[in-house]
Amino acid sequence: MAGKKKFYVKRKKVCKFTVEHIEYIDYKDVDLLKQYVPVSGKILPRRVSGTNPVYQRKLTRAIKRARIMALLPYLGD
Amino acid sequence: MPLYEVGIILQSSLEEPEREAFIAELRQLLAAQHATIVNEDVWGKRTLAYEIDHQREGYYLFWRYEGPGTAPAPFETKLRLSDQVIRFLHLNLDRETKRARKMEKVRAAEKIAKQQARERKALAAAAPVEEA
Repeated sequence: MAGKKKFYVKRKKVCKFTVEHIEYIDYKDVDLLKQYVPVSGKILPRRVSGTNPVYQRKLTRAIKRARIMALLPYLGD
Repeated sequence: MPLYEVGIILQSSLEEPEREAFIAELRQLLAAQHATIVNEDVWGKRTLAYEIDHQREGYYLFWRYEGPGTAPAPFETKLRLSDQVIRFLHLNLDRETKRARKMEKVRAAEKIAKQQARERKALAAAAPVEEA
């Protein structure tokens, strides 16, 4: 197939929690959690968000707690 | 005494005096268990992310309290049996923030060590000049 090869700059993924030293992820911090929950309502995987494994586990727990308290949806649109 | 955090969603259809009476009841219960409320965070009415028992709105309330280990159990029983409560979440914050506190200590120690190393280096760099 003839055509231009697509180029794009790969952006380095960083773990927000490691950089900003956020040790305790609060389930009430909905704005923070929403960054890791797309419209589908699923939790973004580590391979996409670049979160450190330690914080990914904490993040998962916080998101699930927020779901229990009806701050985040279980199912998106 | 450990620090606990409890998040409560009350029915939004409750009238103000009714709600206040119920909250006062909860406060009394905690006081009876020798627990003291440290922090109160009232969000008020808020739309739920999904319907619970055909309700779209809830009255959000978050408390942090310090009390003996025996305090949460009767409190939870009360919340579970009350019709006014849609949902609640109880956490032991001491346990939750254990790592955070540890990491804070580690980081502070690292900072001091780094600064001391820098000072030592500066001293070592300054010393030969004085000799000459």
